[in-house]
Amino acid sequence: MLSRRSFFLFTLPASIVLGLFFVYPIALTLQLSFTNSTGVGEADWIGWRNYERIVSRDRYPEALWTTIKFTLVVVTVQTLAGLVLAALLHRLPAIRNFCRAALFTPAMMSFVVVGYVWQFIYSPFSGGLNSLLRGAGLDDWTWGWLGDPDTALYAIALAHIWMFVGYTTAIFLAGYANIPDDIEEAGRLDGASSFQRFRYLEIPLLAPSFTINVMLSTIGTLKTFELPFIMTRGGPDGATRTLSLEIIDQLFGNYRFGFASSLSIIMLIIVIAVAFVQNRYLRKRELR
Amino acid sequence: MTTAIRQLHGVLVHAAVLALVLLMLTPLLYMLTMSFRTGTEIAEHPLGLPTELAWENYTRAFASMNYLRSVANSIGITVSVTVLTALFGSMAAFPLARNSTPAARIFIMLVALGLATPNFVTITPIFVIFRDLGLLDTYPGIILAFTALNLPLAVFFYVGFIGSIPKDLLEAAKLDNCSDWQIFWHIIRPLLGPATATLSLFVMLMVWNDFTYPLLLLTDREKFTVTISVYRFVGNQNIQPDMLFPAAVLGSLPLLVLFVVFQRRIVAGVTAGAVK
Repeated sequence: MLSRRSFFLFTLPASIVLGLFFVYPIALTLQLSFTNSTGVGEADWIGWRNYERIVSRDRYPEALWTTIKFTLVVVTVQTLAGLVLAALLHRLPAIRNFCRAALFTPAMMSFVVVGYVWQFIYSPFSGGLNSLLRGAGLDDWTWGWLGDPDTALYAIALAHIWMFVGYTTAIFLAGYANIPDDIEEAGRLDGASSFQRFRYLEIPLLAPSFTINVMLSTIGTLKTFELPFIMTRGGPDGATRTLSLEIIDQLFGNYRFGFASSLSIIMLIIVIAVAFVQNRYLRKRELR
Repeated sequence: MTTAIRQLHGVLVHAAVLALVLLMLTPLLYMLTMSFRTGTEIAEHPLGLPTELAWENYTRAFASMNYLRSVANSIGITVSVTVLTALFGSMAAFPLARNSTPAARIFIMLVALGLATPNFVTITPIFVIFRDLGLLDTYPGIILAFTALNLPLAVFFYVGFIGSIPKDLLEAAKLDNCSDWQIFWHIIRPLLGPATATLSLFVMLMVWNDFTYPLLLLTDREKFTVTISVYRFVGNQNIQPDMLFPAAVLGSLPLLVLFVVFQRRIVAGVTAGAVK
């Protein structure tokens, strides 16, 4: 137990930084969200009008729906792919460390680099993917991957998954390391096949890793902004405009500081609600 | 199964998984080979190896990106943020781990809120505050913004760690008339080494690769970080592959080199951090 004076002094630097650049900004966001502030000059208090606008125009619910679709695809595919990769590598100790590091490498790169490289891979004429398809005689399969509203979001999701699947795999492998050897051994002695052990022993025992992976990737993808911003600028036709991209656009494209703030508040509510529900549900699942 | 078949099976499984992993690495190899090809070469044959290494791609990117300067900026900003985050975070965590007063509980709740809050929630006011305080386009500004973003994680991390230090150790020091600061600096700080290493890895990766804050808070070319100078150099209209790929390689080079050298420790550290 520290004295009141020590408590104050020790927490002072963190309090100043967090107060000035976290607590005060959140309060200010809330306040701005009820104004028509443009960042300069006086702003008028306009009550709930920003929020009414969000609900009444198709554009904003669509941005939210885009964000949710992106999150669902990324979290599902990345978690399952990471699980399968980890299960395979767990059974192949000879190449485990090499593969884990290799898969992890893209996570060391920035969104800017990954975004640009994949943008070019998807580009219609000299892009890597279409060239590969043409080379394989599959000319009919070539596509303007980022130019078509039906495929653009999934193309970006694939780049995102590529970037982080190694992270997911590494976390599952850490979960595998916590499974006692004798449990696996017992399963083997009972004549369980490799797949049966995976299904009935490993998956239940990996529950804590599921929680971490799902929560980390959900929080990471709900706020996704970088890849859509770099690869498509939210296009084509708004198909990849996520909530964060909309916030940045309103802020620095239209100087609607008040309106951008109301979108931020919506985002905060959604992220906290999702984190809360996931945490409760996944933790409960772990206990079973 | 006879042994021979079993062995063959084993080799095939290894080869298949290895092939799958190498397939995942093709975008990296693509980036590297493309970076040495000229624009006309790529236009004529989109796929293929460079006929001769186009080093001029690199000299141009190197100069136009202001590469060395931007690497120095990234290092300076990343190191400052990491040190400040570790110092402020561990200092705040000490009383928070030891006291259970209402003030401590409110602080911890705030930190938990901070952990879940995406920076897009605070970006508008931070821009306004920065403009009003003259912090836009300054090193201290962006360093403080990043420190605030990472402090909740640091406090959370250290509270758990300091909480596991035996109480007796600190009580004994107190009986020896050590001040709280002496206890923190001479007893607790040396014990925090492993926690700080893991935390710093997280913070460094996050700050080095971040795109949003430098995009919004820096406009002076001389202060650009590596990420943002790649972005500004390549641009967003009419992207040229002979500019994109060398810039991408240069942009990822520092961390990739670090990763090749320390890969085991980095993967272990980042995973351990996530699991906690």
